[in-house]
Amino acid sequence: MAIKIGDIFPDTVLTYVPYDAKNPEACGLPQQLKTHEVFRGKKVVLFAVPGAFTPTCSEEHMPGYVRLAGDMKSKGADIVACVASNDQFVMHAWGKSYSVKDDILMLSDANGELGSALGLVNDGSARRMGPIRLARFALIIDDLKVIYVGIEPAPGVSVSGAPAVLAKL
Amino acid sequence: MTIKVGDEFPEVQLKYVPYDAAAPNACKGPQLLDTKKAFSGKKVVLIGVPGAFSPTCSVQHIPPYVAKADELKAKGVDLIVCVSGNDFFVMEAWGKQEKVANKILMAGDANGDLGRATGLSIDLSNAGLGAVRLTRFVAIIDNGKVAHLAVEPDPTEVTVTGADKTLSAL
Repeated sequence: MAIKIGDIFPDTVLTYVPYDAKNPEACGLPQQLKTHEVFRGKKVVLFAVPGAFTPTCSEEHMPGYVRLAGDMKSKGADIVACVASNDQFVMHAWGKSYSVKDDILMLSDANGELGSALGLVNDGSARRMGPIRLARFALIIDDLKVIYVGIEPAPGVSVSGAPAVLAKL
Repeated sequence: MTIKVGDEFPEVQLKYVPYDAAAPNACKGPQLLDTKKAFSGKKVVLIGVPGAFSPTCSVQHIPPYVAKADELKAKGVDLIVCVSGNDFFVMEAWGKQEKVANKILMAGDANGDLGRATGLSIDLSNAGLGAVRLTRFVAIIDNGKVAHLAVEPDPTEVTVTGADKTLSAL
């Protein structure tokens, strides 16, 4: 059963490679992000993609957030984050390819813990994408409470896209 | 049970996005690679890595293979394939970053079929890389038979699986 408005966002551990402004070309050390610890007291926009470097995610979904992350922060978002089941090195590299710097936190849910807790994980094996893939969705989380849920009903980007989320902030 | 020298290399389906010299930044349609069909009658160097874009793989393991691809081919290698537990889109993007062009075929084993069939899969959940990854290895496969197999005792390092070691094994 998928997460819905009013639910408390799950407490899980994600991993990421932080952006290092002094050494932007470096491949830094992965860090853990405990969602409740980091999201508590904050307004968070979290969007999820099935796969880094895949066509829809790369051409239609991510660019909107790259363009509008600043506007989201002006409207009160403290954190804009992207999560996928790719590992933290892949997420870091994908973020670099858009020069996101620290505008968007690139998070990894490689074990599918968050996806399972949200009820938004799919099996991509039929397309040889492996058994753990996140659905395409976006959430707005306010002090750990989910206040917007946009789960894509079909291929493409609509309710989980940056313009839809910006309108809800 | 892990694969060893003398074994027939297992038949599995991997997936890859072919390099297109005319459009090196395009993301063309993925293709299936059936190891039995693709390796039949050929000498293949198969490099297994834990993770695309990860430091050791990106800096220490793959670049020497790119640099020595011609030397490997001069010693009779028909095909160099790099495979990991990442998916084929990620492998294609990584190949672009590593500038492999058409020297190394970058294949994805996201379903873990190759890892399971060879016994060379490794659980890297604790490192945040997922439960079914490939350990670091290099195999020389001659007409479908494993002629050489080097498995890194510590997958975070590159010693026995390095390009120079593979060259001397040919």
